[in-house]
Amino acid sequence: MTEYIDVDVRPVLRAGEEPFSVIMSALASLAPGQGLRLYATFKPIPLFSVMANKGFAHSEQELEGGEWEVLFTPVEAGPEQAPVAVTASPFGNWPEPAVKLDSRDLDPPEPMVRILAAADQLGPGQTLSALLRREPVFLFPQLEKRGFRWLGGFLPDGATYELTVRAPS
Amino acid sequence: MVGNNISRWTMTYFAMALAWLFVALVLMMAGVGYPAAGIASSDTLVLVHAVCIGWLSLAMCGALFQFVPVLVAAPLFSENWALPALGLLSAGLISLLAGFLSLGGRLPPALWLLPLGAVLLVAGFSLVVVDLGLTASLRPTGPARFVLAGLASLCATFVFGAIFAFALAGWTGPVGGFILASGVPLHAIAGLGGWLTLTAMGVSYRLLAMFMLAPDVDDRQSRMTLATGAFAVGLTVAGGSLAIWLASGLNVVLSIAAVFGLASVGLYGRDIAGIFRARKRRHLELNMRMATLSFVGLAAMAVLGIALAATDMFAAHVGAFAFLAVFGWLSGLVLAKLYKIVAFLTWLETYGPVMGRTPTPRVQDLVAEGRATKWFVLYYAAVWSGTLMLLAGEPHLFRAAAAAMTVGVVGIVREVIRIRRLADVASPLRLPGGAIAPHLLFARA
Repeated sequence: MTEYIDVDVRPVLRAGEEPFSVIMSALASLAPGQGLRLYATFKPIPLFSVMANKGFAHSEQELEGGEWEVLFTPVEAGPEQAPVAVTASPFGNWPEPAVKLDSRDLDPPEPMVRILAAADQLGPGQTLSALLRREPVFLFPQLEKRGFRWLGGFLPDGATYELTVRAPS
Repeated sequence: MVGNNISRWTMTYFAMALAWLFVALVLMMAGVGYPAAGIASSDTLVLVHAVCIGWLSLAMCGALFQFVPVLVAAPLFSENWALPALGLLSAGLISLLAGFLSLGGRLPPALWLLPLGAVLLVAGFSLVVVDLGLTASLRPTGPARFVLAGLASLCATFVFGAIFAFALAGWTGPVGGFILASGVPLHAIAGLGGWLTLTAMGVSYRLLAMFMLAPDVDDRQSRMTLATGAFAVGLTVAGGSLAIWLASGLNVVLSIAAVFGLASVGLYGRDIAGIFRARKRRHLELNMRMATLSFVGLAAMAVLGIALAATDMFAAHVGAFAFLAVFGWLSGLVLAKLYKIVAFLTWLETYGPVMGRTPTPRVQDLVAEGRATKWFVLYYAAVWSGTLMLLAGEPHLFRAAAAAMTVGVVGIVREVIRIRRLADVASPLRLPGGAIAPHLLFARA
């Protein structure tokens, strides 16, 4: 049974501050095998890929008043992982992806073409998520030039890269 | 924060490298240097350095400026150093070659050109080593580790080279002359085996996995390959230097290093076979089929090395062995990968900005593989015949093989220029709304 350490960032968020450093320092203080129970005022979707990259699976449930409780559970360490790539605060209030792409079985550079095409169809502030086989290093500058923000990292299986792209609002 | 992922000067490095390759091919056709002249003659030194610095090292640097940032997913430490480094390397090489020509009496005596060339080359390579080294060490895993080992070998190579250059100019006293008399194998092994081969291996892991849609080679597995290879080079440099200092001869050190070198080649073969087996993309593109021929060259090199050593003929045929290493393995791989890298970068530069907004061609629409195949085949066939002619002691037939190589390379370069000019892309897709044709010699910022 995993033991969970509670981290409540609702007061920080209500004060309009950035809770990412609080979460990261809590994470650093975890003993091996311990998990994190996070309370937030919204569902922190971008944080999920950051935590996945650090070897934590997530499960979330909505509380009263639109608040959320998220359990981050450590999983078996995968192979050596790429650091997470971010152009955005990993603790933003990102909406659920409007589009989900699975580009794992496409020949490169087809995933890049599809993601850019899908991203251009997003409405202001909307997001898309895509599954890939490798870190899309050539895609990032193209997204950046078009004003998109993204978050990405390998899932704990070490073989699937999850990318979330958010259109400028 | 990832920045612009197209290296601005990679095409410039490639163009300069190909120009030096033509210089070397013309020298071989004209019968300058080995086998027409002795293997240690100044003419051969001109040829060897035109090939190893001018062609292979510049092509490798150009590729690394593009791919090291990709390997570590971070921008290059300084994009601004790439062009000054190219200027220093080119000036240094010209000065060095002029110094060799003067040494051989083909130019009026001006031996100071040798140390001048060495200083310029050391400055140029130092810029490259610091720039790439600081970038690669951000995430020193897998292929980036090979690059770091390659860069360390490059340092060893240019330190020896600089000592030789100063010694040949008579500026070092007896110590330099002593090192020059026995240190040449260490310089050559650090350069060809360490810098060029280890780096080519590392880059090939990522390029092959990327272009064939295969999972990356397991880090522990490639670490073993690197450890044996780096040990072989490290032992050669450190043990060899010690042996020179003790005046005890290099045979023992080089024999042990050769065993580890062979083991590393064997492990590399296993890793590459694993990538081919695990690939998702069944159809092999031309660059991959041609890279396979260079792996055959590497394997042939190992077999030839063993056969020559077993029959005690290695020293007599070291020229043929080096020729196969340089043209069958390294140059073949670089030409095959250059063909693909130019196509991919040109595609990305031209169509990246409009991708997803308008129909764009595929990378494969930029190349005409059918036409290019015959030039590659001609090149490889000529290299293998050239190796046999060297082994058979037929310098005239070797020149004919060099001429055939030149025809093959001219054909390949023509194809590469057509790729860069988008000459084979059908016109409605060629430059869709907003796309700008790339410059031949550099990427637009």
